[in-house]
Amino acid sequence: MKRLLCFSLLICVVGFLACTHSGGLNKPASFGYKVDIPEGWRQIDNNRYLLVTKDNPFQQYILVQNRPVGKSYRHTQKRMRTSMLPEEAAQIIIDELISDQNLVNLKLLNNSPENINGYDGFKILYTYQDAEGHAFKTLYYGFIKEDTFFNLRFTASDGFHFQKDIEAFRYVLRSFEIVKAETT
Amino acid sequence: MNTRLSKLFLFLIGLLLLFVAAACSTGSKPEISLVADSLLASEAEQMLWQKSEREQRTFESNGLIYADLQLEEYLNQVVARLIPETVPADLVIRVKVIKSPYLNAFAYPNGMIYIHSGLLARMENEAQLAAVLAHEMVHCIHRHALRAFRKYSHQPAYLIAVQKMLLKTKGLQRVAHSIGVTGAMAAISGYARELEAEADRIGFEWVLRAGYNPKEALALFDQMLSDLAQDGCEEPFFFGSHPQIGQRADNLQNLSVPAMIDVSASKKSSQAFLAKLGHVLLYNARLDLRLGRFKVARESVEKFLGIKPDDTRAYFLLGEIHRQRGRRSDVQAALDYYLRAIRLDPSFAAPHKAIGLIHYKKGQHALAKKFFESCLQLSPDSPDKAYIKGYLKQCTLSEES
Repeated sequence: MKRLLCFSLLICVVGFLACTHSGGLNKPASFGYKVDIPEGWRQIDNNRYLLVTKDNPFQQYILVQNRPVGKSYRHTQKRMRTSMLPEEAAQIIIDELISDQNLVNLKLLNNSPENINGYDGFKILYTYQDAEGHAFKTLYYGFIKEDTFFNLRFTASDGFHFQKDIEAFRYVLRSFEIVKAETT
Repeated sequence: MNTRLSKLFLFLIGLLLLFVAAACSTGSKPEISLVADSLLASEAEQMLWQKSEREQRTFESNGLIYADLQLEEYLNQVVARLIPETVPADLVIRVKVIKSPYLNAFAYPNGMIYIHSGLLARMENEAQLAAVLAHEMVHCIHRHALRAFRKYSHQPAYLIAVQKMLLKTKGLQRVAHSIGVTGAMAAISGYARELEAEADRIGFEWVLRAGYNPKEALALFDQMLSDLAQDGCEEPFFFGSHPQIGQRADNLQNLSVPAMIDVSASKKSSQAFLAKLGHVLLYNARLDLRLGRFKVARESVEKFLGIKPDDTRAYFLLGEIHRQRGRRSDVQAALDYYLRAIRLDPSFAAPHKAIGLIHYKKGQHALAKKFFESCLQLSPDSPDKAYIKGYLKQCTLSEES
């Protein structure tokens, strides 16, 4: 039962981390993306981002998201701008993470520039605990293309699952392609 | 309704229900004397204290305490000025600072008071600090937690409601988990209205008796309300809640200060007070900068510069605030602050890199290169050296082309 509650909380946290909130722009991102989902992983229905897991999101998940650059975040009032350098975009993500009261003992292990399939972006690696004390590790890639901020992240329970499933994330990264978003 | 408003609405409804629960509980239980000779004589109180200590240990082990012994000593000196003679011997009031830009202060029943760096940074003088501390001290000395818990001891639904509300409210899961129910009630929902009013009234008397002007707190509450309105902040804590600050201000307005109190005395002590706060002002400005609260971050740094006018890190932080805010007029202001920081301490690497970034973004690669290189010379193992090397590579390519 406790595990079920933790699982539900985790889904909420994932949602909070990924979704945008009021006060932001309602305009959808101009660019979409496509990725290959690794064999044995399943998609969890969501219309705001792609979330896939092999076992369950409490053990590991890969999240891919495109969001309009000017949209607000949940904790920091800073917003990305199209003119930002990857390092400046990374700083906003870090500020958002550090300001998030749900992430306990957040430790930033790495923040460096990274080329993501031809796009100049950043890579951050961090660990944290949830309110129940479970430890997680996240590898987060992000870059801005015109008015769209793309991010691909892999979160797994720190230790066993992170090492075991990181290759699946690399597979998703390699398959990542930008496509023009469908207009409705 | 937009998401933020609807969540705020739900939170306020939750609070309202709790207050209704508080108001509806019967008064048939035995009265607790306001101030006991020995608080620990009561078994219920012993249990409450043990629970508080457990919650505090968890809370403090999460690295949330701002460790500054001098500052703590000063805060405890203010407490000593305020404390009435009738305090039970086993109740020791202590104050610690929490690293949080949100506006709050709260007390555990065992006398431990926590004040957020965000609330300290908004204060202008010792009288304002005294008003907040006195309010929290009344909660401890007049046993508000015990009174509240005895009221609800036969209402487990009340505590479940508190926990559920905390778990559903933005950003509170960590806090709720860390400070436990005892702390959460004090920190977030506050006590029942009559207990909060009592804390205002008695706190007012203690502040007066200690020689402060209690009305100074009105300026603090006004400032907090204005900041909350301007930033559109959604703050989760008691002192960051618009209705609660408003209630504190209303209660204070209704209490009168004797004519002999010298209102200007508190103002005179402002510089001395800010000097005591010292680096917590800069620390909190960095937290506000992370939250994108540029205005309050700048105000804190300016306060700090009022007491330490030649602090290179303060000028660098002002530069960061302007650069990150990114308005058209901000770029020149940021450059000026960075240059001033360099003049004060030429060996401080961070402003070199920041100036490099500004030139780099303007396409002034030769200038940018000069500052990036000086940054790396001063700090070869800088954690952002991978970014700086990337910029330098681009600058070189640009020169070649």
